Amino acid sequence: MRQAFIGAVAALTAALVVSSLAVAQTAQSQNKQARSPWVYYPLDTIVGDGGPAPKRDLSGTWAGPGSTDAIPRGAPAEKPSLTPLGQQTMSQRKPIGRFGPAGTNDPTARYCDPLGFPLNFIYQNRAMSVATMPNRIVFLLQFGGFWREVWTDGRALPTKVGGEDRDSLDPTYMGYSVGHWEDDYNFVVDTTGLDERTWVLRDGTPHSVMAHVQERFTRVDHNTMKVSMTIDDPKMFTKSFSLGTYYYRWIQNQKINEWLCVPSETLKYLQEQGDPAGSYPDAEPQRLGGGGRGR
Amino acid sequence: MRMTMKTKVRAFVPLIAGLLAMGAPASAHHGDAAYSAKAMEMKGCVVTEFSWMNPHSLIKFDYKTEAGEVQHWTMEIGSPPSMALLGWSRTTLRAGDVITAYVYQAKSGVAVGRTNKVILADGTVLADRDDSTPSRYGTTEAPK
Repeated sequence: MRQAFIGAVAALTAALVVSSLAVAQTAQSQNKQARSPWVYYPLDTIVGDGGPAPKRDLSGTWAGPGSTDAIPRGAPAEKPSLTPLGQQTMSQRKPIGRFGPAGTNDPTARYCDPLGFPLNFIYQNRAMSVATMPNRIVFLLQFGGFWREVWTDGRALPTKVGGEDRDSLDPTYMGYSVGHWEDDYNFVVDTTGLDERTWVLRDGTPHSVMAHVQERFTRVDHNTMKVSMTIDDPKMFTKSFSLGTYYYRWIQNQKINEWLCVPSETLKYLQEQGDPAGSYPDAEPQRLGGGGRGR
Repeated sequence: MRMTMKTKVRAFVPLIAGLLAMGAPASAHHGDAAYSAKAMEMKGCVVTEFSWMNPHSLIKFDYKTEAGEVQHWTMEIGSPPSMALLGWSRTTLRAGDVITAYVYQAKSGVAVGRTNKVILADGTVLADRDDSTPSRYGTTEAPK
């Protein structure tokens, strides 16, 4: 038994060493190539902590979850406890993970509609820039080319969004956000006024205009940023829950690529591939392709 | 309890598979339930179009069956950011290139599929996924 165990461990170690060498060679070969300041090199991941975190500063360009597997794994979202309205709304959702491109009614997958906040900070946020302005911090998202403003001038969140009154503000895909530094390394953001057409999670979890999302951005060190998110929405959830914890790492040359959801491309994909392939919501889930090292 | 050697080896397979899978975050655009789980080999395919696009790039090619019938195929790979990590680019394939395609055909029976891998004329192998590569950090544990 012991020999079998030793043999298995040796085989596993050898496999990991060989695989690690392959990755290292890929990174080395990438390093040997001439560098262009116009190119994003996702495998050129930063090593180490880069020194202490600057105080009250998130500015810079960051690689996010899914960009490569050099991004530390955080924690996934908790399963929400839905109200009867939440359950009814959820029952109408056909997530792409189960229904596939042909059968889903996910508005982003079918029509390139914006993911909206908070989903755009949970899914596909593989890179973003953060810019500090005199009265706000702006998040510039790679996927979709969207931006999001978090006001830091002390204003209060709007109290009337989505109502019938003339002075009621419109709900928006990014919502209304205010933020403050809790200490030198923790920036807390509160967001309300979110457009009800967006899904909170990829599985179709709904929200109402009463949703309130709180984020805590922690500058762990110069090269690492952590974001933890929670949501409450008395119309859809019986209690607040965690939307997960996500890590970001500093990008060496601070350059990222354009990555858009182009409606004409999505239409071409659905017409020529997704729809002809069909929908099999009751089939056993399987993963055959789609990349690796982050996907 | 005594275990046979075969049983001992089997006992470690899930462990090894689990460890190898640790470095593979799961955030793909969609699952693959629409496709057969067994890849077909198709030699001598002639690329007619390569669309490097979102949400998934498409490879179109003509495949001549043994009976001489020319079939027009479309198969998808991952999104450009994902596939770039595996060595693909906008210029990987051009119309007229001859490739060997390994494809998971759609269960619906039409000539579309999910790519397993492509072998170019010069022997270069380009896969659609790479789950066996561990993180270069050796772990995906969050730092304390």
